[in-house]
Amino acid sequence: MLASIPSATLLGVEGRQVSVEVHVSSGIPGFTVVGLPDASCREARDRVRAALLTSGLDWPLKRITVNLAPSSLKKAGGGLDLAIAIGLLVATGVLKQEPIDGCAFIGELGLDGSLRPVPGMVPMVDALRSETVIVPLASVREASVVGRHAVRGASTLVDLLACLRGDEPWPTPPLPPELEGARWCPDLADVRGQQVGRWAVEVAAAGGHHLLMIGPPGSGKTMLASRLPGILPELDDAQALETTKVHSAAGLPLPGGGLIRTPPLRAPHHTASVVSLIGGGSGTMRPGEISLATNGVLFIDELGEVPVHILDAMRQPLEEGVVRVARARASVTFPAHVLLVAAMNPCPCGEGGFAGSCRCSDRDRARYLRRLSGPLVDRFDLRIPVARPDASQLVGGTPGESSVAVAARVVLARERARARGVRCNAELTGRDLESAANLAPSAVRILEHKLRIGSLTARGLHRVERVARTIADLADEDVVSDEHVCTALELRADVGLMQSAA
Amino acid sequence: MRTPREEAIASALTVLPQCGIARLRAFVQDPDGLEAVWSDIVAGRVARVEGLGRVSKPADVAAAWRAKAATFDLDAVERRIAESGVRVLFIDDDAYPQVLRDDPDPPGVLFIRTQSLDVLHDALARPRVAIIGTRRCTNYGVEVSRELGRDLSAAGVVVVSGLALGIDGAAHEGALVAGAAPPVGVVGSGLDVVYPHRHRRLWASVADAGALISEAPLGAIAEAHRFPQRNRIIAGLSDLVIVVESHAAGGSMHTVQAAIDRGVPVMAVPGSVRSKSSAGTNRLLAEGVAPVLDVDDVLVALALERRPSASPGHDHPHPEPQIDPADAGVLAAVEWTPTSTETVLERTGLSLGAAAAALTRLEMAGAVRSQNGWWERKEEVR
Repeated sequence: MLASIPSATLLGVEGRQVSVEVHVSSGIPGFTVVGLPDASCREARDRVRAALLTSGLDWPLKRITVNLAPSSLKKAGGGLDLAIAIGLLVATGVLKQEPIDGCAFIGELGLDGSLRPVPGMVPMVDALRSETVIVPLASVREASVVGRHAVRGASTLVDLLACLRGDEPWPTPPLPPELEGARWCPDLADVRGQQVGRWAVEVAAAGGHHLLMIGPPGSGKTMLASRLPGILPELDDAQALETTKVHSAAGLPLPGGGLIRTPPLRAPHHTASVVSLIGGGSGTMRPGEISLATNGVLFIDELGEVPVHILDAMRQPLEEGVVRVARARASVTFPAHVLLVAAMNPCPCGEGGFAGSCRCSDRDRARYLRRLSGPLVDRFDLRIPVARPDASQLVGGTPGESSVAVAARVVLARERARARGVRCNAELTGRDLESAANLAPSAVRILEHKLRIGSLTARGLHRVERVARTIADLADEDVVSDEHVCTALELRADVGLMQSAA
Repeated sequence: MRTPREEAIASALTVLPQCGIARLRAFVQDPDGLEAVWSDIVAGRVARVEGLGRVSKPADVAAAWRAKAATFDLDAVERRIAESGVRVLFIDDDAYPQVLRDDPDPPGVLFIRTQSLDVLHDALARPRVAIIGTRRCTNYGVEVSRELGRDLSAAGVVVVSGLALGIDGAAHEGALVAGAAPPVGVVGSGLDVVYPHRHRRLWASVADAGALISEAPLGAIAEAHRFPQRNRIIAGLSDLVIVVESHAAGGSMHTVQAAIDRGVPVMAVPGSVRSKSSAGTNRLLAEGVAPVLDVDDVLVALALERRPSASPGHDHPHPEPQIDPADAGVLAAVEWTPTSTETVLERTGLSLGAAAAALTRLEMAGAVRSQNGWWERKEEVR
């Protein structure tokens, strides 16, 4: 009269194994679910009852108690429906124990007995220790991403019972619909002119340096940013699984193969809330945009319009590579290894570039730029001005280098960085940086001059050294020459963040 | 010279509601004397208001003045003037500048900060040129303004300006470098309220070397309405007004209008037709104002000798900076107005690395400057 079925629930972007215990005994007929289910989870009672009845199965007029163990963990969503239904069938003797030995069940039930996918399949399956996992047919590919389990799927409860009893073979999962634009990424060759911008994007990709672009509307900032994923190296297995888990937990569709191999690009609107950007929420903790962009690019357009408290909330995740969300009941950690790319206008009217070029007063410009806190601006190793390209370049200009050629150099540069023990040069600090920099005497002279006249600070010096190292890596050179340093100086131009004329 | 009491009363009168420049002048020149005027105002006597000519609702004005006058502590004002060392000149004082007394709308009272009134009179005896322009200026404007200030001052010409950010400040910086003629600054706020604060050192330097003039009493903050009034004094004090850079509808245009009203000639410095900061000056030139290409144009307009060393057509008397011939191509690609790195790359066909290295060498040689990611040619002020 007792059955115990393994299943899983989601906490943040991690799955937790849950044992669904079903006890059926004589007594006043009733159906209770205990073990900290949330509202959507408690509603399983009605879904399971209706699904069983429409599948032509009897509803036992008995006292039914379902316990979701461990009872201290809050369970959310409908993913436990299937396990409850199977547990009930086993406890009432409709289904024997042997066919489900070593099987875990995840899935939501429809009132018509159909099995429906739930978000977070990847992390939940990852948390299961059983050999076989049975999921809705539409989730089979997603569940197979983890690769440690035999994954079976069925589309209705009736089919599932038939397969479990061995009356019918397991159906093959349908081919997933090809996701529009999932694999296609715009090519750098489409960018006309913008040599400085192209360089900045390449250096950002190679060194993992955060990039800030400042320029008037229509100058191609978004165009440049959208080409970044195309020149970043493909994700390795661990990165791919991490990113896929986050996307799965957020209920986002996954590409055909299941695993996300292309670095993601997330571009939240500047009115996004703190929770949507950083992650959290009161009931189920959902990963934010910064986590959805993990191992990829987080692009924030109109940085100047983003509320200050949101910008400042992003500082810690950027520094540590993780988001820690703590709530009264639980705290979770989301990954946040992002390449931050931001774009903004130089001033409120958007037209300004250099001093005296627009209708904004000194004060307006200063106020606009003051919104960016110094510590946040410090995160950007690369800060470049972007100007509208010349008409002749747009129409007649020759196409630039393609993403494939650039990506090859980026892979090379990343390999050189890995040899230094870091994932990318942006992570070089202190002594590692000093030993890696390997500056040529002529480069040292330039930096000394800049320091002496006060146009470079000690902190800025490290940034320049890091970026120059990446530029030398891209050229496949061991010594950082004066050209590399000058280019680095050029790419971290303190656009609009300095005093204007007089 | 008046008594300290009268100076304090004049200070108080300037801030009465509905007491503008003309009424203040009438009070200052009142045959009864300022003390009698003040006691009438404190008593709220309507006859005093009616004596000013047509005033609508004189009783209301008298009541308003009485209420405001009751808030003044004349002793404190007196002390403040004494402690500040500021001199107060009345329109009928001998020391009051004659050129302003001849003005159609002269200030009744002037507050002056200077080492000695002799310095002011030395300045008033010399040719005076106002150098004005926008606060939202380009580096080009700042450089030209500084050069004009320096060269005019070297030629013994007094530079009059408003000490604002941008063009105004640069003109006086240049004048102080040459230091051959006392500079005159005309400001909108009280002489103990430094505005803009960024120019506090410049204020002190101008007061030390020349004179600072204000129509506003001590403690008056920089309110928007004070600036057009200040601009008329700048125009009134000058023999010539030069606009270095101005937007199409900038405050400099007030000064230009005031100069035209007074028959003071106006000149303008040409700028790029693409530069918004030169839109106003270029418009003036189109309307027939004489252009300033070089300090000689100004000296000629003032009917003064040209600089002895200057040769015609040589606009840049300074030696070209020492640069590597290999970088000359890059230098040629950089303009006197801000040029993007992108443009330099296009013009030279160099790679970013090569161009960046050349630009950095040029910057170190002092031939170009970089600001906010833009490059431009640079002229060193000695």
